Amino acid sequence: MPILETRNLTHIFPNGAAAIQDINFSVAAGEFVVLAGANGSGKTVLIRHLNGLLKPTKGHVFIEGAPIGKDIVQARKKIGLIFQDANSQIVGQTVAEDVAFGPENLNLSPAEVKRIVQEALENVGLSRYADQDPHLLSGGQQRKLAIAGILAMQPKIILFDEPFTGLDYPGVLQVLGEIMRLHKTGHTIILVTHELEKVLAHADRLVIIHEGRLVEDGLPAEVFPRAEQYGVRIPLGKIEGVESMTWLK
Amino acid sequence: MAEMTFFHYFPRDSLIHRMDARLKLLCMILLSVAATLAGTVTEFAFLTFVLGGAICLARLPVVALLKDMRLFALLILLLVAANAFFVPGRPLPYLSIPGVSQEGLVMGLRFAWRLLLILMVCMVMTGATSLLTFKNVVEWYLRPVPLVPAARVATMMNLTFVLFPVIFDTYAEMRAAQKARCIETRKNIIKRVMFTVAPLLSQTLRKADEIAYAMEARCYTEERTRAVFRTKAQDWVLTAVCLVICLAVALR
Ligand SMILES: Nc1ncnc2c1ncn2[C@@H]1O[C@H](COP(=O)(O)OP(=O)(O)OP(=O)(O)O)[C@@H](O)[C@H]1O
Ligand SMILES: [Mg+2]
Repeated sequence: MPILETRNLTHIFPNGAAAIQDINFSVAAGEFVVLAGANGSGKTVLIRHLNGLLKPTKGHVFIEGAPIGKDIVQARKKIGLIFQDANSQIVGQTVAEDVAFGPENLNLSPAEVKRIVQEALENVGLSRYADQDPHLLSGGQQRKLAIAGILAMQPKIILFDEPFTGLDYPGVLQVLGEIMRLHKTGHTIILVTHELEKVLAHADRLVIIHEGRLVEDGLPAEVFPRAEQYGVRIPLGKIEGVESMTWLK
Repeated sequence: MAEMTFFHYFPRDSLIHRMDARLKLLCMILLSVAATLAGTVTEFAFLTFVLGGAICLARLPVVALLKDMRLFALLILLLVAANAFFVPGRPLPYLSIPGVSQEGLVMGLRFAWRLLLILMVCMVMTGATSLLTFKNVVEWYLRPVPLVPAARVATMMNLTFVLFPVIFDTYAEMRAAQKARCIETRKNIIKRVMFTVAPLLSQTLRKADEIAYAMEARCYTEERTRAVFRTKAQDWVLTAVCLVICLAVALR
């Protein structure tokens, strides 16, 4: 049984714009899926459906076989979402407080919240900054904080919306390393990006969205030669196969 | 604005910092009441001494606080002057300034001192209590009040604290970006204001929207984990002292 599945997912905004149309795809537990597409192709809208932030005009989303509308809190616990803009995800005045936000919503005991927060911060290497103002962190650190905030909910699936935008080389390495670590520890990863050269080597699958429709879904090596026609850039010059498409050494 | 030390929190490890914040707030309210009721110079001096002592106990940066006081000093001076000129009464005994009355001056000074005491109360409270703790205390006090959604109020307070610096940063950045495109050459001040206000508003609304989504994605509910407070013996002692001070001033 797929851990996550969408059927005929369609979202039409009140102004008539059809952001996504008839999206059918499923993800197996432990898979690493890269979701690519040009600007405005509907990537963000699609993944916001996957944890119920947006309600589909038509179609359904299933988590472990159950429609997510049934128990939205459970669904959101299972599916963590790292937003495109890490900054706007911050709701705490200190790093630790921000990570505590999720577990506090789950009404865990104060001692438990404390333990989970410490663990999550340790996992992403931000323990030193626990009492700092999150807005003073660097871009890469802010994204790690967003990851810690999601880890504190102990999700099975983690959605990353453009995790590399605005990051410099070390920043990308930090975040990419973190994502790989999460994948190794058994998390299912869905990563939205149009910078294929940074991660594609690690992916099990490449899905491409074009003008709101799912147009390609398959092994990265098979799909990526066709990516360019959908406005997803393929690194120029040295195309030495998918294996070379990573920034990790 | 971020540079103002005035109503800032200074993380320290002091008796005042460690005090149960619920009782701390109660103490500060008692002292404010005392300051409002105080009339004689002795009472004022005594309260100043107590609050000065509290500031030292909390190890707040006195020099930095005094520097920030300058802003308020102007306001206080204006208050004294206004009272001195507009309250009718006898002329001053030693040097007579036309229009200044003795009663007015005394009244103004009393008012100013009272304001100063209340400012000191705020300094101790905000200097020795983090916003998070403060929010938790407010929530704790509101919880038994019927019809008030304490958790929601606390969340709203929290978001205000979070959003404020963000909005301020956005504003600064937008101003800089517009200066880079020579907004200064525009003569029409209303147009200029509109160029900042309109995008700032729409940006803030969009930001608020995103935060709402982010909170929802992390399962926001109002049935949240509650903060735990611990009361120590010395907290009760300090509260008793404040109560005695307040009663002494009130029942004089
Ligand atoms: N609230 C909204 N109302 C109307 N249309 C919207 C709304 N949000 C998004 N859209 C439209 O839906 C389409 C898909 O937007 P989406 O944000 O999913 O794009 P994206 O693939 O994430 O792009 P990017 O790479 O720029 O992040 C766009 O054409 C956009 O204009
Ligand atoms: Mg997007």
